Amino acid sequence: MSAPRRVVVTGMGTVSAAGIGGRDVVRAVLARRDSALRPLRSFDTATLPSHLAGEVDDEALDALFDRDAARRLSRICRLTVAACRLAVEDARVDAGPTLGLVVGTEFGDFRSSGEFATGFLKRGPSGLSPMLFPGTVMNAMSAAASIAIGVKGPAVTVNQGTVAGEVALARGAALVACGHAEAVLAGGVDELCGPVYQRLAHELGVLSPMRRPDGRRDGVEGCRPYAPDHNGPVLGEGATFVVLEDGEVAGARGATILAELRAARWGNIPVAPYAAPVGRRDPRSVLRASLAEARLPTAALRSCWGSGHGDPALDDWELALLRADLAERPDLLPPRSTAALVGQHGGVGALSAAAASLDLGAGPALVHGLARGGCRVALVLASPTGR
Amino acid sequence: MSRVVVSGLGVVSPYGSGTKTFWAGLAAGACAIRPITLIDTEGFRSRVAAEVPADAMAGLGVSPRRARADRLGLAAAREALADAGLGPADRAEAALVIGAVGGGMLEGEAWFWEETRTARPSPRIKALRSILPYTHAETIGWRLGIGGPKETVVMACASGAASIALAADLVREGVVPLALAGGVDALTRICFMGFNALKLLDPDPCRPFDRDRKGMSIGEAAAFVVLEDAERCRARGARDFAKLLGAGISTDAHHVTSPHPEGEGMARAMMLALAAARVDPRAVDYVNAHGTGTLQNDRIEALAIARVLGAGRVPISSTKSLVGHTMAAAGSLEAVASILALHHGLIPPTANLREVDPEIPFDCVPNIARPAPIEVALTNSFGFGGQNVSLVFGR
Repeated sequence: MSAPRRVVVTGMGTVSAAGIGGRDVVRAVLARRDSALRPLRSFDTATLPSHLAGEVDDEALDALFDRDAARRLSRICRLTVAACRLAVEDARVDAGPTLGLVVGTEFGDFRSSGEFATGFLKRGPSGLSPMLFPGTVMNAMSAAASIAIGVKGPAVTVNQGTVAGEVALARGAALVACGHAEAVLAGGVDELCGPVYQRLAHELGVLSPMRRPDGRRDGVEGCRPYAPDHNGPVLGEGATFVVLEDGEVAGARGATILAELRAARWGNIPVAPYAAPVGRRDPRSVLRASLAEARLPTAALRSCWGSGHGDPALDDWELALLRADLAERPDLLPPRSTAALVGQHGGVGALSAAAASLDLGAGPALVHGLARGGCRVALVLASPTGR
Repeated sequence: MSRVVVSGLGVVSPYGSGTKTFWAGLAAGACAIRPITLIDTEGFRSRVAAEVPADAMAGLGVSPRRARADRLGLAAAREALADAGLGPADRAEAALVIGAVGGGMLEGEAWFWEETRTARPSPRIKALRSILPYTHAETIGWRLGIGGPKETVVMACASGAASIALAADLVREGVVPLALAGGVDALTRICFMGFNALKLLDPDPCRPFDRDRKGMSIGEAAAFVVLEDAERCRARGARDFAKLLGAGISTDAHHVTSPHPEGEGMARAMMLALAAARVDPRAVDYVNAHGTGTLQNDRIEALAIARVLGAGRVPISSTKSLVGHTMAAAGSLEAVASILALHHGLIPPTANLREVDPEIPFDCVPNIARPAPIEVALTNSFGFGGQNVSLVFGR
């Protein structure tokens, strides 16, 4: 029996409110002390209780595409293609049948679905655009990126709330480990879906400042993960992808190995959809399973990244689970979170993993994720020389 | 590395609820494509689809307050777990991988239509809580106590097959001892209107492989399989329907809606699946084709099958001619059809087939199911975005 494949990180690309680029930009995001969240510019929020977001600069994004591509691709597809291209350039990895892709997203191309339906409601069947229809399927971003880059291995889209990027990385690692691909672009993407979605999010009560149980909104709007005054997430947009690669293949081609993904596990705590019951424990903890697979004691961990985005119930539940699993390491808590820097979106988990990959000097890092509804992820990253 | 067997099946199809009902319909060659009742079809080229009958929906034992797709998924998932004889302790260690596309869009559309037409806020807004595809996994994982990895894959019309391929990896690698995998989709206005806009729907029930085919017919369904480590299944004395011998996943990287003209990605998925299964192409006894009934798909798929298995060498059929193209559920529904074909030694037919297209050099099993000893079956699923998944099942 052959030895299990070692999965390593060889490149990264990111597009967010905090910048566009490869590992240098991820380093700069990591070094930021201030948030890139600003008052929304792309639509009027005067009648809404929330006004902040992490918007990607349109001019900077459009500068990455020629006019024809910019016309053909929806905004979320441009975000995806741009981040994937940057990651491929950063890793200098070849396209083709040995390259796979895993795109994590929460909302997909929601905007195209709305525009497609609106065409019908305004003008009947003649108002339907065949060009928009493919965008209504959530794999539109993976289709655009696979064509733009030449990905001919598996191209998987993973749909998940809050931790789409983390699950995408775990699935990407599994594709490499199982031999489906030598390298996989794995990460996540979402865009700000426009005023209709922003209103819906408020009516559903899921953005800062969230409603309290008594129906009132209070506190200052902002994304403050794990803080005592956290009162909801602030949306962001963007895409972050990392290149996960078979360690042997990466070594043979002389790639720079930034980190080793020693374990990637995801699981489910069976609770009701959208529930975040702080008291609910996790007897089948993926965090403990990941550390066991990585053969690391908790004492070896030097940093911990979480998926906290300011939703009080979810932040508190994640902290409770982490406290239980890392009882002897209170110094690692609260975890670091990139949502506060760039706003919550499907690429945040991948951005955390990318940042953690560049910050392993002191020792291994844990990237943890938890979503309402119980989806839980744990990634263990270590320096490639650490084994 | 573990061998993976199929130890449970669950289906809600346009024939009604249950795997037995599904197989009875396939074996009889009964076409379940009829005039659409769920959505307004005024002004559209095609007005037929394969809906799950209203009496079957009412008898699913799932609250009608849930989204239609969640109801389909929950009923089929329950059947699969019960069929495998799995209790709460087994479920707690199982993975859940669901292929989905439309999510709760049918109910979300009703809200959007109402607000847009009346320009007033609608109380239907709560339907949006179930609109995203991953809500099926949230609902099923919670209601059925699934405690392993939970994942929703969206790979267009290959989603259901992909869910099986990806879940099998988790079992094969020993991450979990068993997995519940399958696809779910309910009919939605957007899907119906979109394929109409692309002029890909046949005004009549679809006729895959026919010389005069005019497009596909859409449908809705949910189909799940329980994948289990072979040793574990044997040790607990459970029955296995078939072995999942191998899976292949590839991407065309060619065009968003059109397959590669030479079927390069399709052929690669089949070759990868056969290689993973360690099965010689000559050992394949039956192909359950993607077979949508569109001019382009059927011709290119036949080209790809001929390239991999040899022209005319193996019978192929399209069960989409019987139950429509059930989108995200299609791949897992056709996996169940292939498993049952192996199990019963009977090839489900291609309905509505009058004269085979001369460009399709295969016996397409027209209109009547055919007894045949089947040791190995291959099933193909392809989708927008150049997504290709092939699965190989053996007795």
